[in-house]
Amino acid sequence: MNGTTTVSLVGVGGQGILLAAAVLAETASAEGLDVKASEVKGMSQRGGSVLSTVRFGEHVWSPVARHADVVIAIELLEGHRALGLLAHQGTLVCAVTTRIVPGSVLRREDEYPDDLPAAAAARGVKLIAVDAEALAREAGTLRAVNVALLGAASVVLPFAAASWQRGLAAALPSKILEVNERAFALGRDAVSSEEVGP
Amino acid sequence: MERTLFFSGNQAIAHGAVRAGAAFACGYPGTPSTEILETAARLEGIHAQWCVNEKVALETAVGASLAGRRTIVTMKHVGLNVAADPFMTLSLTGINGGLVIVSADDPGMHSSQNEQDNRAYAKFAKVPMLEPSDSQEAYDFVAEAFALSEEFDTPVLLRSTTRLSHGRGQVIRRVPVVLEPRDYARDISKYVMVPQNARLRNRLVLERLQKLRARAEESPLNILEAGTADVGIIASGVAYTYAREAFPKAWFLKLGMSHPLPYRKVARLFQQVSRVAVVEELDPFIEEQVRALGLPVVGKEAIPADGELDQDIVFRALEPFLSRRPPRRRRPVFPPAPCLADPPQPAAGLPVRPPVLCPGCSHRAVFAAVRRHKLAPMGDIGCYTLGALPPLLALDSCLCMGASIGMMAGFNKALGRKGAAAVIGDSTFFHSGITPLVDAYYNEADGLVIVLDNRTTAMTGHQGHPGTGLRADRSQGPAVDIQKLCEGIGVRCNTVDANDYSVLDAAIKTESDAPGLGVVIALAPCVLMVREKAGEIVVDDERCNLCGLCLDVGCPALARGEDSVAFSDVCTGCGLCIEVCRRGALSYAGACGADSEGEGAR
Repeated sequence: MNGTTTVSLVGVGGQGILLAAAVLAETASAEGLDVKASEVKGMSQRGGSVLSTVRFGEHVWSPVARHADVVIAIELLEGHRALGLLAHQGTLVCAVTTRIVPGSVLRREDEYPDDLPAAAAARGVKLIAVDAEALAREAGTLRAVNVALLGAASVVLPFAAASWQRGLAAALPSKILEVNERAFALGRDAVSSEEVGP
Repeated sequence: MERTLFFSGNQAIAHGAVRAGAAFACGYPGTPSTEILETAARLEGIHAQWCVNEKVALETAVGASLAGRRTIVTMKHVGLNVAADPFMTLSLTGINGGLVIVSADDPGMHSSQNEQDNRAYAKFAKVPMLEPSDSQEAYDFVAEAFALSEEFDTPVLLRSTTRLSHGRGQVIRRVPVVLEPRDYARDISKYVMVPQNARLRNRLVLERLQKLRARAEESPLNILEAGTADVGIIASGVAYTYAREAFPKAWFLKLGMSHPLPYRKVARLFQQVSRVAVVEELDPFIEEQVRALGLPVVGKEAIPADGELDQDIVFRALEPFLSRRPPRRRRPVFPPAPCLADPPQPAAGLPVRPPVLCPGCSHRAVFAAVRRHKLAPMGDIGCYTLGALPPLLALDSCLCMGASIGMMAGFNKALGRKGAAAVIGDSTFFHSGITPLVDAYYNEADGLVIVLDNRTTAMTGHQGHPGTGLRADRSQGPAVDIQKLCEGIGVRCNTVDANDYSVLDAAIKTESDAPGLGVVIALAPCVLMVREKAGEIVVDDERCNLCGLCLDVGCPALARGEDSVAFSDVCTGCGLCIEVCRRGALSYAGACGADSEGEGAR
């Protein structure tokens, strides 16, 4: 709306969603754009669903939005859930190999959802499926799943490589910057080598 | 015929409460409210106790209400500030036995530090406000308040002021109210105010307010009294008596129930007369609402907004206005009922992901033990509030910070036996758990208090507190010892290792069965601060029959597999599942004995 782009990051408490959102916000800032972000913490820290929203553009008014242009999902079930956030022709970048199974599924009272590609297609959502865990492991730490996925999402976001570089450096502690830079690059390459539409 | 009694407003409220079937009264002394409880303490059929402060008094009253008793709690106006935390959320949970909160305001500040008008609290909390104007009404309105409380599932505020509380008048006794007994029924969605429950309760509160307004329109407490002059006066409380004496020929809308305001009754008064004034002490509480209807009134521009009124002040203030040309008649514009936000709708077909206690969290062991020992656990606020959610379902209430102990004390006192326990975290204990423990000791309440001491304020991100001595700048200060503190009060107290399930379970059982008041401190540092695996747990496929006992403790590390339970790598090896398994199907890898021949963790 009004030239503002909305990116939502979803996942499970403890997955580093807020950190990934900070990288994204710093990157948009480095591009000289206005940025607003909002998140709900509290109860979500104890393994609940977490949603963080970053909005950027010439001038951003509201910090929240009901619909996102791009959703970055660091967990598969949350990716399914986030389909409701995406408008037709939106993009879902999802860590499809990451499953954090909620209690009701552990006890077999519920079923973990299947077939994200079909669900995404039914809504007219473009799906970028990433094995972010493998990429993070290759980069050197499983904890970098969030940044690997951000690297994958960077392909559909309008930022220069130098801005991402500045965003990563601004949001991440120097100790873990290098491993995260690797994870980001691996994520970006994994998608670039595939077919990504405009 | 029975003798007419001559009661102060405070005596009348106490007698009215007993007549209405109230079985429990508590409060904190404060002028002009004090004699209500002093009177109740001398009457048969009602238990009356002073509490350590107004917050604890209200929490104790809530406990007694949950136990099914009609309960009255008394305080002066500023006391409701102290009790505001439980009060605001009590509006959401509602009550079981009727609950009436008496706020005695002090216009003129005869013996108070401020002059706040507590009718604002009724609006703030969206609960009904009754305002008697003399001793007979004080006596009668208490029964009305209890009936409203139970019919609308809400606490009811009854406002007195100094002139009512300490004035005297004739009272005719009424026939005692006969009550159906109300049993306590556990209802987590109603009494545990975690966000997902509170959101739904809050919608009910907003709907309840509309229903209460409809009731106010037809309530006999709100009377339109015909006059002969072309003047109408809206008044409540003792101010009504001043206005009635000053303007005997005026029409009156007497509001015994001043919140929510009956808009249509107000409009009816405007149909009868061309000039209307609002006479009220302190704030323009009624006046602002009448003006919002688009109706012209005289109010605080003539009648002082501070201090007490009397008939001379009212007469002198309104006399000039009576000789003025009447304003043009206007049609009222009634505010529409507010709409509500769309209710939260979970994505269809997808499992929800509620927050859960972490794998290896020591609170889980306490809940597993508490569930075994029949006491209704009154909960508090922290990570452990998650124990109220499935599959644990191990807490009966969560009202506000520090409410668990007062609620337990009131519940057990009203029941006359040990029916409830309290579960409170270490940081919450320091926040506001000490005063109710002092109170429970002083009032000799029975009960078991379990302090979940995980050595931090975990829920909000591991801040320090006086029990750890850790300060905001991460410097180390002196620490308060909870066990010594309890013993200093005079309360029996045991500290046990929360990671040692059999010891913990035994301590909770012993203290559940023991008479009197006792504290068990379940000590184990937050698992997020420890982060070391206690051992690998293995499953014996032959013995596991998937009975689900271990799954019922709600650990995210345990899953229902095809033939037996299965562990994921988030397991911290706390071993609670080994303890709750009745078939010996789980054990630490490498442990001695027949149980250790599993195939390794899955």
